Amino acid sequence: MAEMKLPLEGIKVADFSWFGAGPICAEHLATYGATVVRVESETHIDALRTVQPFAKGKTGYNVSGYFNNYNAGKLDLTLNLNTEKGRELAQRLVAWADVFLTNFTPRVVERWGLTYDMVSATNPQIIAAYQPMQGYDGPHRDFLGFGQVLTPVTGYNHLSGFPQRGPIGLGTNYPDYVINPGHTLIAILAALRYRRRTGKGQRIECAQLESSVCPLGPAIFDYTANGRVQERTGNGLPYATPHNAFKCAPLSPGSSAPADEQWIAIACFSDAEWEALVEGMGVPDWAKDAKFGSAPGRKAHEEELEAGISAWTADKEPRALMEDLQARGVPAGVVQSAREMLADEHLKERGYYVYLDHPETGRSAYDGPPFRLSKTPGRLRAPAPLLGEHTEYVCREILALSDEEVADLLVEGVLQ
Amino acid sequence: MPEQLPSALDDVRVLDLAGEIGQYCTKLLADLGADVIKVEPPSGDPVRDLPPFYHDEADGQKSLYWLNLNTSKRSVTLDLEKPDGRRLFERLAATADIVVESFEPGYLDGLGLGYEGLARIRPDVILTSVTGFGQTGPHAHYKAPDIVGVAMGGIMWLAGDAQDPPNVPPWRQGFISTSIVAAAGTLMALYHRDIHGEGQHVDVSMQETLSIAQETAMQSWDMLQSLRNRAGERGMIPVNFPGIGAYECTDGWVFGYVGTPGGAPWSELLDWLKEEGAAEDLTEEPYLEFCRDLGVRTLVEMFQDRSKLGQGLQMLNHVDDVVKRFIAARGKWEVYEGGQRRRLLIGIVSTPEDIAKNPQLRHRQWLTAVEHPELGETLQYPGPPYRLAETPWAVRRRPPLPGEHNAGVFLDELGVEPGELERLRAAGVI
Repeated sequence: MAEMKLPLEGIKVADFSWFGAGPICAEHLATYGATVVRVESETHIDALRTVQPFAKGKTGYNVSGYFNNYNAGKLDLTLNLNTEKGRELAQRLVAWADVFLTNFTPRVVERWGLTYDMVSATNPQIIAAYQPMQGYDGPHRDFLGFGQVLTPVTGYNHLSGFPQRGPIGLGTNYPDYVINPGHTLIAILAALRYRRRTGKGQRIECAQLESSVCPLGPAIFDYTANGRVQERTGNGLPYATPHNAFKCAPLSPGSSAPADEQWIAIACFSDAEWEALVEGMGVPDWAKDAKFGSAPGRKAHEEELEAGISAWTADKEPRALMEDLQARGVPAGVVQSAREMLADEHLKERGYYVYLDHPETGRSAYDGPPFRLSKTPGRLRAPAPLLGEHTEYVCREILALSDEEVADLLVEGVLQ
Repeated sequence: MPEQLPSALDDVRVLDLAGEIGQYCTKLLADLGADVIKVEPPSGDPVRDLPPFYHDEADGQKSLYWLNLNTSKRSVTLDLEKPDGRRLFERLAATADIVVESFEPGYLDGLGLGYEGLARIRPDVILTSVTGFGQTGPHAHYKAPDIVGVAMGGIMWLAGDAQDPPNVPPWRQGFISTSIVAAAGTLMALYHRDIHGEGQHVDVSMQETLSIAQETAMQSWDMLQSLRNRAGERGMIPVNFPGIGAYECTDGWVFGYVGTPGGAPWSELLDWLKEEGAAEDLTEEPYLEFCRDLGVRTLVEMFQDRSKLGQGLQMLNHVDDVVKRFIAARGKWEVYEGGQRRRLLIGIVSTPEDIAKNPQLRHRQWLTAVEHPELGETLQYPGPPYRLAETPWAVRRRPPLPGEHNAGVFLDELGVEPGELERLRAAGVI
């Protein structure tokens, strides 16, 4: 079959990023056709390579599912940027690239000569995207935000969860996976288009603080316009009742293990949806009470109403329940764990998860392309690279070094 | 307001038919300079009725939720379900590069305005469809408010304390994430069109968008059949660990991630406690040695040698209590800024007020003033997600009133006769 043209075919990306926000963005560029060289170093290892899960029975830098899922389809170059020759080679890679990306801290970017002044001197047309935590100027410029620190700073912890709990957050480094890589991808694509029209590159700064705060805009706006400090309020929504997750029968009868819990999310936004839910529950007496007959009445007695629903779902299997409720026009969805996500028939039919053979992990699942283009569908073209897998290839084919030069650099510890 | 800034998208017209799930997508395009025309039903976009409201006045012009999603856009009203409305939309669609919609799959096809129909009018059109489950598959027609998306997309399972139901993330995170992915998909298709002249249909699913935000959960099940469950503040850490998690201060909370890669080691926190006279018995053995390089690796070692696990956990709990007492006596900004100056991974748990007053965001003038003559006020809007040096993000105009640009778009740009427009208005088409 003839290879289809992908939108970014011919676009070259120098990916000097690590952890989540940078590598995911660059992976999406690779998925739609760009040639992406991921620059790493054994002396400055991407911590994700050291974090579980590791493929069953395997250890080392190449078997982390966390790392691998964000780096499919990239070429991997190891380069010690603490050496002068390493920094020179970095500039040669910049000269080759259309897009440069980094989420290193401003201090490290400066130390390694990767500031916009430096990279644009090497390549005036470069699109250089920086993802500092806080921005390249300002009093908190050098504050750190790895791991779970950015999520509380940007407001998610204060606003998530139930009021009787502390600000525990969302259980993940939430903005790292869609919000920050996604915003950066948008900025890069806009800049690529502008460059195509005008020949001009530019500097992009996607400060993760600013990018992550945007999705909480309504809460910030409520403060600046009304002076109200919103609090966390659990799972409710002012204009929907019910609007919550309801516990179903455990996966193994009688089990109380967390992994055996099953939940269904149910929400009603209108009288019609509520009436359909009541029908679905078999019109129990409690639900016929006149106080549940209007939206304000349901909201006023929300706790009682949700207790009634919980009692009804407690011995049900959530998938069948979801199918029945959706068929009746009631918004409902199983609260799926990763186990259910991987087995989800709908996702399977759409081919969302992609299974790739990797030399060290064997076959494993990757998140597929984030969006689908009908005529130029993106593809994960290769599994995540081994650390330094393409160092010699990149040196010869992209940086145009001779075999002798490569051998010398290897001996000098520049390519590690 | 700055309408004449250089823009990456100033030659692009977008028709915005989208509901809540897609309006942040079109906002992103509009704030980068695209001419985004909202096509609202004659009764107005129902999202205009959602709280919170300016001064709590429940009025379709005053929804802060809606205003935040609709900066830089224009608005026309038009009833797609009436034949005259459809004809008018077709004239508009002939001028559009991009259409963004979020109807149930097949709805626009039923009106003759699906991808095939639009491509007959405008062969290189890009149609971006933003829905809960995408255009195909057995769940394509499921109703998908945000809560259903975050449930079926795997992120709700991971959020919350084990004693509570799984948590719904605040402020429609499923919708926002899907919009971000939709904007990226739209620009990817636009870049392809610029080169090859070919439009296409972009299919974006909330469920698929959110999957990657499960962090390591999907891979853990795939590789090890090990299930990550919601674990409150600890995330991936299996036990109570000093310096990790939420700590209460005199005036709020901070959140620590001390002892993990990327920040100063635990010994730095110990030094801080010592300098402030708050280290208690951590300066003595066995704690002194224990705290020096306390980190995630300590845990790995403890779990490898189960015989020492009980004692290890006791020590962890004691150290954690000392940290709790230290932080409880201080203010949240003091702990945040003081900790960060020592390169300790500690963050303030910001309230919306803290964000509005954050010195970094203020220095960078993140909040963005937008004049609202109809309110007689200038409102401070949430600001840019990114800064492009040559083609800046900007709020190019305040969000529109319903149908504010009917005359400009229909009369001036499409050349509809004034009499015809009057007839359409009388017939309830616009």
